[in-house]
Amino acid sequence: MTQTITIREKHFTLHPSGAIYWHEENMLLIADVHFGKVAHFRKHGAAVPQKASEENFRKLNVLVDTYQPGTICFLGDLFHSTLNNSWKDFTQWVKFQKSEFILISGNHDIIPKYLFEELGVIVYDELLRSDFLLTHHPIEDEKLFNLSGHIHPGVRLQGVGRQYIKLPCFFKTEKQMILPAFGNFTGKYILTPTSTNEVFAIADDEVICVSTNS
Amino acid sequence: MKKTELIKLASSWFQKKNWNEFPFQKKTWNAFLDGKHGLLNAPTGSGKTYALWVPIVLQYIKDNPDYKTKHAKGLKAIWITPLRALSVEIQQSAQRFADELETGLTIGIRTGDTPQSERAKQKRNMPDLLITTPESLMLLLASKGYEKVFGNLTAIVVDEWHELLGSKRGVQMELALSRLKTISPNLRIWGISATIGNLEEAQNVLLGMDPEFRKNSVLIKSKQKKKIKVISIIPKKMETFPWRGHLGLHLLDDIIPILKDSKTTIIFTNTRSQCEIWFQKILAKYPEFAGEIAMHHGSIAKETRLWVEQAIRNESLKAVVATSSLDLGVDFAPVETIIQIGGPKGIAKFLQRAGRSNHRPGEPSVIYFLPTHALELVEASALKRAVKEEVMEDRIPYLLSFDVLIQYLVTLSVSNGFIPKELFPEIKSTFCYQGITEDQWKWCLNFITMGSQSLQAYDEYKRVEVTLEGVFKVESKRIAMMHRLSIGTIVSDAMLQVKYVSGGFIGTIEEWFIGKLKPGDTFVFAGRTLELVRLRNMAAQVRRSNKKSATVVSFMGGRLPLSSQMSKILREELQSEAEYKRNTPELKALSELFERQELESIVPKQDEFLIETFKTREGYHALFYPFEGRFVHEAMSGLLAYRISLLLPITFSLAYNDYGFELLSDQPLDVQQVIDNNLFSSEYLFDDLQKSLNSTELARRKFRDVAVISGMVFQGYPNKMIKTKHLQSSSQLLFDVFRDYEPDNLLYQQAFRETFEHQLEEGRLRMALERIATQTIIWKQCEKPTPFSFPIITDRLREKLSSEKLKDRIKKMTLQLLK
Repeated sequence: MTQTITIREKHFTLHPSGAIYWHEENMLLIADVHFGKVAHFRKHGAAVPQKASEENFRKLNVLVDTYQPGTICFLGDLFHSTLNNSWKDFTQWVKFQKSEFILISGNHDIIPKYLFEELGVIVYDELLRSDFLLTHHPIEDEKLFNLSGHIHPGVRLQGVGRQYIKLPCFFKTEKQMILPAFGNFTGKYILTPTSTNEVFAIADDEVICVSTNS
Repeated sequence: MKKTELIKLASSWFQKKNWNEFPFQKKTWNAFLDGKHGLLNAPTGSGKTYALWVPIVLQYIKDNPDYKTKHAKGLKAIWITPLRALSVEIQQSAQRFADELETGLTIGIRTGDTPQSERAKQKRNMPDLLITTPESLMLLLASKGYEKVFGNLTAIVVDEWHELLGSKRGVQMELALSRLKTISPNLRIWGISATIGNLEEAQNVLLGMDPEFRKNSVLIKSKQKKKIKVISIIPKKMETFPWRGHLGLHLLDDIIPILKDSKTTIIFTNTRSQCEIWFQKILAKYPEFAGEIAMHHGSIAKETRLWVEQAIRNESLKAVVATSSLDLGVDFAPVETIIQIGGPKGIAKFLQRAGRSNHRPGEPSVIYFLPTHALELVEASALKRAVKEEVMEDRIPYLLSFDVLIQYLVTLSVSNGFIPKELFPEIKSTFCYQGITEDQWKWCLNFITMGSQSLQAYDEYKRVEVTLEGVFKVESKRIAMMHRLSIGTIVSDAMLQVKYVSGGFIGTIEEWFIGKLKPGDTFVFAGRTLELVRLRNMAAQVRRSNKKSATVVSFMGGRLPLSSQMSKILREELQSEAEYKRNTPELKALSELFERQELESIVPKQDEFLIETFKTREGYHALFYPFEGRFVHEAMSGLLAYRISLLLPITFSLAYNDYGFELLSDQPLDVQQVIDNNLFSSEYLFDDLQKSLNSTELARRKFRDVAVISGMVFQGYPNKMIKTKHLQSSSQLLFDVFRDYEPDNLLYQQAFRETFEHQLEEGRLRMALERIATQTIIWKQCEKPTPFSFPIITDRLREKLSSEKLKDRIKKMTLQLLK
């Protein structure tokens, strides 16, 4: 189950995979996939199950089928490290897609720009669409609304009986929306929101607004 | 020289020193010279070093009749010690004997502290005796040509074997021994162990499954016994003594006269943070002790620790506050008195600590027991009985630790490489891997060469490669280096160094603790108040601070569970209370607490099983009192919570201590329903336990060790600036990935098996459930928390279990906001 919210009169659907679909732009926003992380570990002798790397593509295919986006925009850290065989999987996958591809370069993106461009993926440091600024690192701007990733946000909820739970989330402040990490072999960083923040937690296959229960 | 002549040589040396040789020493010399293997059961401070070092030297004399003029080069014996701190002491004793017999034998130390230059020198020219740790021995096996170094070994002695036995370092030792047996044909294997319940098993684990070795071995017990006197410190005013807590500071004033009366006192605490706090508080309240009291725990810089140890020997200290870091080895003659703060949780540990005092023969060792909360007095009473009745615990050896095996296989691949067909019989001859199947063996080989069970297209997995001749080898220098670095990693959280900004090393601290601090925050560490300036290159840079209050450094771990032997005695003590016998001073002192307990609830008799329920602000509490020790309670609480969660959607937070456990929920628990559904049944125990394990975090925590040892989590380069860029991952993430994509992975499954074998103790749990089945269940619905419940419900380290949908739980929860 998704949640659709309005920011500055534009409509955004938050998907439990961690992606956001921007209706007006027909654009899918995805942050911190960290492709190739599994392969990177394996290359250095740590036997992380190979199958784990296929999950990202499965999730991407579900999203593409659901929204049929005109553009897929990765908000940085698309690849975890240097070139390895995951690159081949990615190029294969991209060739079968009808969408356009954009990569906002993140701190992990050390694969040369021209390789992306040969694939038809356009690489930017940041991108402005209407009054929305797309970046990898969250930034503050006086006028613009910022969509970003990098943090891998999560929150902690607590309840009666000393119960608590930590979940990945979409983290929205007045002028920012930070997306959760899309990759399945990533972690999360627990943020403590203030009363003005909006938090949409991912619980299994649902996106639930939890900032109203505080 | 004949055997009798050789022994005479040693005896006359003893006489010259005016020392008595003990029968156990002579027995050991004889057995060793007869070519036997064995286990020596002797306490610290009894002359055990000479029991085994003497015959090693005598054997050398026998083999080299012109030993006084001609020195035969090469390594002759290895002495394994679990603690680096003990090595200097052993070296000095050994050197003394070797020199005074004019043998020219040299004794070297090789541990993590040994400088690189010294190690390189050793490699070119090994000393005759090498004192080392299990990790450093493994590192030697990771260097090329090791078989030449070890080829002429006559003996390996594993000191403090009881300490290694119940740990994975013990498994490392088993594997190393299995290799040495093959490459050193004249090897004798000897262990030295303090008294434990399963000495014979300890001997079998050390020698392995090889019948030749077992047949040709002896178990020698020293008859020396120490008398031990246990004195409880009973609070003068029981009314004000707390029902819970683990620090024990209420009784601080009571230990001062003890300190003043005795030459030197060691105050044993159970955790490093408790140690820090006691040290601070004694000084704050009795400043006259300044300079006369010190602190000793594993996180303090080695130089400081050595200084403290030396100061104890010169009698320049009145008292030392310590943790288990002073449990082992080193003899401190001037120590007259021991104070144990809080329950030591095990009899063997308690005795070992008591034995640290008073080495004058004939006189008893005195140990004071200081309870940290009221119910611990029952424990004191139980301990006294255990000491009197000489009850001893077992150390349970590990079985089929695939993580250690994988580490070992890579170790051999880094040095000479190995051929599986040749190595398998060695592995199978160890106690740990006696039950390994061909399939499991193949699995391990596939794991290190292909990263899983079949080679997949495009896979770039790289660790061990197979040469055309079928030799398993590591070719990559980088992988070899990473592996060498990871051999020594003691499994713990990432550790950071604490240093002054101006330089100067203070000690090490767990990363998660520093992670909670911001620059400018102050904390107490190593007895000093420090301000965090910045974090840089795996070091926390600090400066001294004058701020008054500060967080005391806390450390994970250190919570030891009550052993089954101990819990049985504890139960009996309590039951004697239910029958109003009150036959020890400790129980008498507790009269009032027991009366309060009876006001709200009951003190259960032998045939009664007590369950209490009550409600507080925190939610609905249900408490169960099996008195079976922490591990059994951990398992039983998970089991019961799981079984209840099948009846209705419910979420529990679980807490346990040595007396009982709690299921806390946001909805009331109908205990009648628990009884009616026979939820304490021992039927389907294994199945239900397994499922409860899946829903709690226990196995996940065990997996951390497994992931580190098997090399899946790389902890980084100690003291080096090289970044392990992009290779950081938590074992938590890995655990999830294995659960989702490779649940049949042997290492993933090992985490569950270890939880079963070493933590949950299914056997003990089953017996406890069977006992409960014969008891009358008494359900008390109380108005408020009872004295028995107090230490449990205030425990903050909790496990959780839920059968509610995530979405339903979230609805009832609130977001924690920044204030």
